[in-house]
Amino acid sequence: MATVLANLHPEGTVYGEVGDSSVPLRFSESADEYRVLRERAAVLDLGGNRLIEITGPAAVDFAQRLLARDVEYLTSERCMMSLVLDESGQVVDQVLAFGRENGILLESSCGAGTRLLEHLEEHNDEGVVITDRSADLTVLALEGPYAWGVVGRLIDGELASLPFESVVETEWNGTEIIFARTGFTGEYGYQMIVPVEAAAELWCQALEHAGAAGQEALELAMLEVRQPIPRHEATAGASVIEIGANWLVDVTKDEFVGRDAVLAAFESGQGRRTVGFTGGDAIPEAGARVLAGGQDIGEVVHAVRSAGLGATLGLARVDAELAAAGLEFTVDGVEVTTLTSPYIVPKSWSIPII
Amino acid sequence: MALRPVVVTGLGIICAIGRDPAEFWQRLMAGTGGLTPVLDESFAVFEARHAGQVPDEWIDGGLPDSDAGLDRTARLALIAARQAIEQAGLAGADPDRFGIILGKCQATPDAAGRYQPMHRTEDVVADRLGMRGPRILVSTACAAGGNAVGLAKDKILTGEADVVLAGGVDPLLFGTYAGFAGLKALSTGPCRPYSHSDGLNLGEGAAFLLLEPLDRALARGATPLAEVAGYGLSADAYHATAPDPTGRGGASAVRRALADAGLTTDDVGYVSGHGTGTPANDAMEAKVMRVVFGERAGRVPTSSIKSFVGHTLGAAGAVEAVASVLALRHGTAPPTIGFAEDAVPGDLDFVPNVARELPIDTVVSNNYAFGGNNVSLVLTTPRAAREYDELPAAAAVITGLGPVTGLGTGIGEVAEAIVTGRQAAGRPPSLDGRTFAPRSLWRHMNHLSRMAIAASRLAWEDAGLQLPRKELDDVGLVFATGAGSAESTGGFDESIAANPNKPAVLSFSNVVLNATGGAVCQTLGLRGPTTTICNGGASASIALDCALEMIRVGKADVVLVVAADETVATTAVDAVVSPYDRRHSGTVPGSAAVAFVVESAEHCARRGGRPYARVMGTGHASGGNPTTTDPTTTGQAVGGDLVARVLARLPGARPELVVGAGTGVPDDAEEAAVVLAALPGAVLTTSAGLTGDCQAATGAMNIAMAALAIRDCIAPALTGLVEPHAGDPASYVTKPDLPDPIGQALVLTAAPGSVRGAVLLGAAS
Repeated sequence: MATVLANLHPEGTVYGEVGDSSVPLRFSESADEYRVLRERAAVLDLGGNRLIEITGPAAVDFAQRLLARDVEYLTSERCMMSLVLDESGQVVDQVLAFGRENGILLESSCGAGTRLLEHLEEHNDEGVVITDRSADLTVLALEGPYAWGVVGRLIDGELASLPFESVVETEWNGTEIIFARTGFTGEYGYQMIVPVEAAAELWCQALEHAGAAGQEALELAMLEVRQPIPRHEATAGASVIEIGANWLVDVTKDEFVGRDAVLAAFESGQGRRTVGFTGGDAIPEAGARVLAGGQDIGEVVHAVRSAGLGATLGLARVDAELAAAGLEFTVDGVEVTTLTSPYIVPKSWSIPII
Repeated sequence: MALRPVVVTGLGIICAIGRDPAEFWQRLMAGTGGLTPVLDESFAVFEARHAGQVPDEWIDGGLPDSDAGLDRTARLALIAARQAIEQAGLAGADPDRFGIILGKCQATPDAAGRYQPMHRTEDVVADRLGMRGPRILVSTACAAGGNAVGLAKDKILTGEADVVLAGGVDPLLFGTYAGFAGLKALSTGPCRPYSHSDGLNLGEGAAFLLLEPLDRALARGATPLAEVAGYGLSADAYHATAPDPTGRGGASAVRRALADAGLTTDDVGYVSGHGTGTPANDAMEAKVMRVVFGERAGRVPTSSIKSFVGHTLGAAGAVEAVASVLALRHGTAPPTIGFAEDAVPGDLDFVPNVARELPIDTVVSNNYAFGGNNVSLVLTTPRAAREYDELPAAAAVITGLGPVTGLGTGIGEVAEAIVTGRQAAGRPPSLDGRTFAPRSLWRHMNHLSRMAIAASRLAWEDAGLQLPRKELDDVGLVFATGAGSAESTGGFDESIAANPNKPAVLSFSNVVLNATGGAVCQTLGLRGPTTTICNGGASASIALDCALEMIRVGKADVVLVVAADETVATTAVDAVVSPYDRRHSGTVPGSAAVAFVVESAEHCARRGGRPYARVMGTGHASGGNPTTTDPTTTGQAVGGDLVARVLARLPGARPELVVGAGTGVPDDAEEAAVVLAALPGAVLTTSAGLTGDCQAATGAMNIAMAALAIRDCIAPALTGLVEPHAGDPASYVTKPDLPDPIGQALVLTAAPGSVRGAVLLGAAS
């Protein structure tokens, strides 16, 4: 499934299949797009993120049971990120949940909408109404140290300083949109959920103030601040704790699908843990073995070339006692060093909104 | 609709730069600040040493010998209060129509250094200066002084008072200083608002404005100094201590105030800013200026006199209101001193360092507080006397009840407990197993906030209210509490005693009395007008008055009133309290929160809501001798006189049921005697026999019980009553099922030695 904005993207845009979606990986050069995101402001086509609305009297109860974090009192001015798990504690998806007056709106991760929708429908004991809104809504995002300035020029300066995970319904160009302060890359980040018929105009106007960045630049910037990318990190069989996504689960909740499995994993203390590493120029494949003192201690989850570090950056899933920063391992015969996150310091951290 | 013009005819002030308005203004014009190192050696433990202190000799020299034994807070307040009355040339005012509204942020010590009730300072002032009219202690932290001026105007518009003294007071307290130091909010030198913005200085002082209707002022030959054209309140619903960075809350307070005044932003000539000097405040205020005034922002001078006197907390709004009146009178804006010469010129005009003459007809004075409470006052040059409309009477109903008490959580559980005759005096409410807010917030909340949020949410659900986001922006919240969180106050005090440089900062943010109200707004997303009332056991009926005023002037259609108090005393399980009984005299302190939804009858009908009862009337009477009254032991100051006077405020009342203020204290006897004599057709009861004395929450519980009696024909029974002080047992409710429907129920509330309240409810249809 192509994104709503696909016909606007320049010739030469490189698309890739991510789950059920075909998304722009890069519009020109990923390195340039990354630089725009880290140094100025990037606009992102998140059309691969599915929007699924849950309504009906039991919508909140259903969402509270299906999402691993606490969304009971999620008002229409807040959003939050949560995992959706299956009974065995495996990650179905990582969603952004928006409180709505008549229920809750879920934004899937890139390309995971079909799987999420199926999972929700299978678990619909409450008889809620589950609606795929992707035919009429799509998502655009802004990320970057000066994204707040783009918000001011594009929509309303007052919205730029909204607190993290705040949401407002606002009007842009005569169209009702949902505007949220979010952020995946450590930079100032915003999302706009807009009717598909208005998306093209918003995209074009955004391009007057920001540069387009594709999925490659986005995922690199996410990895650099250890923002989870479920399609790379939620590997088969791995528990939430092994993935390192504990913060997207709230076990103080009485009940949610997958809670027992998460608790069992917590209590057992078994399994591996995920840690970042850097070293060398080659990019190891996912599954490449990680050795410590010649012993096999785990494997590479995902690795890329980090523009921010100027070196290889990856995640390794290794024995729990070795998942610490500052250790020397070997991957594909190359020395690597483990790191604490974030692996780069986003420029936004030193730039105030004015 | 043009309501009766209300003017200021007298000013009084004592603060770091002056002991009267003339001296204060002279220092503001000269740009001579008053922020100096604290003299008290105990403050040497702090790195930041500057504060706006009032010299002791100014206080000693400003008072008669008869006031010498009073605590510093009362002494500061009396100096400023007397000045305001004197300037207004007020003599021979009817004491019953002379009110006082005092803003105060801190619980202040008595002369011996012990905590005293929040309202004690105003009781002392009222007693010494002869005021027996409306009496309100408003404690919206650092916005309280401005809020008091607005509430005073309301009391004149409702016709309850001819003259109201409105102001604020706070002394410099070690604990508060330690708390701000712990928050890293103090500047190490004199503060420099809007330029360096590296922190605030605390200050102390008192300021009062005497308010009266323009026509009365002119008739008695007084000189109107300024008109109180309007005021606006709002809640950020954002954070306990940090302002909403978008400035939405501050902007909506200004907009509401201008709308109340019937003016536009183009009319504003000068803005007296909150200007504390903290980076968060100053950045937020700049946004408010830009958001409210748009392209005109740079041409509206705004300055902070906190650069002269420091942050006087509950007094600040009143101190700045006095400065604003003087700015209007003199056509001059006071400067922001300490303004960095090398500051990057911005887009706003902060009147740096030098006072500026300019034509000013309208001043907006803004204050922002912990708990996300914002207040804006609009003051204008007085105009000629003119025709006006009476404040419209708006029918209001009670549509939802949310009791959180030892008897049960929610009106369903409580009603069942009442019917089965369960007693739970002194038993704390149980909230185990349920969270009423997102867990991330709930975990860090103190018990008082948890109870209040639970009560609020339950009342909201009971009312069946489902409002879209836009309507929530106008839902009001009035919080009523006698003493706020005992848990946080105790925790904070202990931390300071252990090490003043390691205060429990989370507790500190909850020490301000309005913190719980702010937490309710934040959790329920309410951004309408909000305030906090601290008049002991009478807080809830006064809070209801505030809610009714919001509805009458059209500032809100729906107002949530929530009252909460807690005790840290441990009570013997199943302690028996038997109010109105001469054998079981004795009270048991308890903890509870009780919320109720007040709604305009029209709004309720439009949405198809089912009201419990209609609010037919309210009345308050004040008096008594505060300095000789210990509220827990003596009844002499309350007296039958105060009960009789409050009943006289509702002359048409013919209640079949009276839910009285009895808690098991000797005062019960006189209350019962007066009530039974004045209302022979009524039976008397109270909720305190079932829950213990939960202060403000007991007042709200009594209102809730009267509403429940009208709709569902049940009432709390005084099952143990055998030998009543007055009348015979047949004059009391001794069985929960009422034999006949209740057409009218009267509720009494009491803050002994201070205020008594009465609320008359009637059948809704």
